[in-house]
Amino acid sequence: MNGRIKLIFSIIATITIILIIALVGILMDEDVLKADFKIKNIEPCLEYPFGTDWMGRDMLARTVKGLSISIVIGLVASIVSAVMAVIIGTLAGTMPKWVDSILGWLIDLVMGIPHLVLLILISFAVGRGIKGVMIGIAVTHWTSLARLVRSEVLQIRNEFYIKLSKKLGKSNIYILKNHILPHLLPQFIIGLVLLFPHAILHEAAVTFLGFGLPPEVPAIGIILSESMKYLSAGKWHLALFPGLSLVAIVLLFEHIGSNIKKVLDPYNAQN
Amino acid sequence: MKKFFWISIMVILANLILVGCAETVLTDEGQAERTQSKDTLVMAIGSEPEGGFDPCTGWGRYGSPLFQSTLIETDKNMNIVYDLAKNYEISDDGLTWTFTIRDDAYFTDGEKVTAEDVAFTFGTAKLSGSIVDLTNMKEVTAVNEFTVEFILEKPDTSFVYTVAATGIVPKHAYGPDYGDSPIGSGPFKLLQWDKGQQIIMEANENYYGKVPEIKKITILFMDEDAAFAAAKAGEIDVAMTNSNFADQEIKGMNLVSIKSIDNRGLTLPYLKDEGRTDAEGNKIGNNVTSNIAIRRALSYGINRDILVNDVINGYGRPAFTECDGMPWGSDEAIVEYDLDKAKSILEEAGWIDIDNDGIREKEGIKAEFNLLYSSSDATRQALATAVSLQAEELGIKITTEGTSWDVISKRMFSEAVLMGWGAQNPIETYLLYHSDNMGKDYYNPEYFSSERVDEYIDRAMSTNNLDESMEYWKKVQWDGTTGISTKGECVWVWLVNVDHLYYVREDLNIGEQKIHPHGHAWPIVANLKEWVWN
Repeated sequence: MNGRIKLIFSIIATITIILIIALVGILMDEDVLKADFKIKNIEPCLEYPFGTDWMGRDMLARTVKGLSISIVIGLVASIVSAVMAVIIGTLAGTMPKWVDSILGWLIDLVMGIPHLVLLILISFAVGRGIKGVMIGIAVTHWTSLARLVRSEVLQIRNEFYIKLSKKLGKSNIYILKNHILPHLLPQFIIGLVLLFPHAILHEAAVTFLGFGLPPEVPAIGIILSESMKYLSAGKWHLALFPGLSLVAIVLLFEHIGSNIKKVLDPYNAQN
Repeated sequence: MKKFFWISIMVILANLILVGCAETVLTDEGQAERTQSKDTLVMAIGSEPEGGFDPCTGWGRYGSPLFQSTLIETDKNMNIVYDLAKNYEISDDGLTWTFTIRDDAYFTDGEKVTAEDVAFTFGTAKLSGSIVDLTNMKEVTAVNEFTVEFILEKPDTSFVYTVAATGIVPKHAYGPDYGDSPIGSGPFKLLQWDKGQQIIMEANENYYGKVPEIKKITILFMDEDAAFAAAKAGEIDVAMTNSNFADQEIKGMNLVSIKSIDNRGLTLPYLKDEGRTDAEGNKIGNNVTSNIAIRRALSYGINRDILVNDVINGYGRPAFTECDGMPWGSDEAIVEYDLDKAKSILEEAGWIDIDNDGIREKEGIKAEFNLLYSSSDATRQALATAVSLQAEELGIKITTEGTSWDVISKRMFSEAVLMGWGAQNPIETYLLYHSDNMGKDYYNPEYFSSERVDEYIDRAMSTNNLDESMEYWKKVQWDGTTGISTKGECVWVWLVNVDHLYYVREDLNIGEQKIHPHGHAWPIVANLKEWVWN
């Protein structure tokens, strides 16, 4: 088994873990999430590995549900973001100079505003809730990938085979479809995967600050902000386990991202 | 040159060491002094009065104005006692109130308190457009130096409590910045206000009453968890807290639980949804909560004792009215928890679960509604959740939804809201239930109106006799055939009164506290002038 296959196995294993978490969360029976005041404030034990909170809600169930919400939001938001990035990047790279300048200016503008501030503004403006957070994350995370795609496109455009193709009378659309976009695929996939942890962390942050999801939704940000009130009362487990889980998920995505990069990168592929 | 360099380095080092030592010594002394001193006090309170310390815009409503004094005040049993006033008289028609004030009261800048100042205070408060509601006061005039006369639009016995809650400001020193540096005739003087952090005050040695024994008081504005940490570190003497911290012990401090009428209940829209909207286009009415069987079944079928135990860890008591235990509250409003009765009320009214989904229905309408609450308040969230769990057993589905007050203020006319009130003034009964206040502010979002209830309220307010007015206030709750409480129209489903919890240092005596009103923070300092270190 060479390194490449090992990497692919590792990627598949990680994706499976994430998928399982997402599915368990999505298919979870609502009753598990319900409050039950008879079992409130239980410290972590065998029956409740993450303990319960002040309303007797099982923190493990809440955490898993929260992670799956984060994964879904992250997935939608990063796909939208990545697609936007490729479209804008390609436009900037292939269109006339003035389009490039306008798009370059737009990228600089979005990048210039602190991420979180823009995110809060947008999700507030489009009406909070899951929709607000998704839109907010989607329209703030495309910039760096777009810039990358643009430079890639510019580089490819000047290759000899493109010029040859043009001389042979192929249309711009044909060239775009058959020569440029396939080259962008690795960038797109890596960009997409690496956007994930960003999206998830920003979702948690915005929700933590109270601008994201309503308090009934067991999102990780909500869980963390609620647990803050109980930290000094000694309820350490309310914050610790959900927080660690969030970090773990982010690391898993990071792991996938960097491994895909290695697999797709010809220089590293055989090691 | 080199020698000089080394010498200066050594001098600097020596200085640093000396200064360092000096600082440690100072802090050590400071701490020792604070714990031993009998005339200073540090306390932590959650909320800073944003509008400053101006009684004309609402300062001192809940509790005491501290820096100003009031004409009259309420004692621990809510009886009216004189403060700045020596006595007062009400004319036979109940419209003219004459107060005579004492002649030995001075503001902290040395000026005498006169009837002019009293008239000025109420005149300014009326025009301030703040929460101080003086719309019923037609005019106020200073008859002579120590006599002031109020003329009301219509008789109102509860005006006495409004007077008791309004601190007197000096006419000569009042201005737009008055709230930042108040001058008054109260037992304390404000020395310093670091906005967002603390206020420091000292005893007013020229106070006409008994001068407070604790001379210097610092009030820090911090959240419960910060206050808890500070209390644990021994930095504060009184710390506001809540039931989630109550099982934690702090060495040298007692957990003091003070009875309150800081109540929580459900407002349930009283009108049917007939497509009506208010002037701003907000929907009015709800087809489920407008059914009296639903409201009454909730009131009988929700076990309030369980709410008290589960949600506020036993620090509270069941609530049945907005004024439990007040002289104007009625025992007739109290109902026993009775699940079977609640179910039979629903069944008799035709709410039956036909499709076996656990939710009753009647004429095609499912017994379900949304319950809104302020998402920043964990106690309200827990209470809303606990209520919806109990309602499930009744076959009523309550969907809780935490949101912000600006959203609630648009949707409260057509959806249930978890609200809280509790004032040391029967005027609140008028505000919550009189048809005058339908859809006004947060008072009567249910759009409840009843001629009978209006009549009792009007009579309670217009009689000259305070005792008689109490009887009418009680009839508002239940008069034998109808009323606003569970047995009657059951406009609200009151749930619990939340005790106010404080960590108080063992050797500090905070006197006898009145039943606290809504607003967990300032009421505790209402009798600050009586506090002493043992």
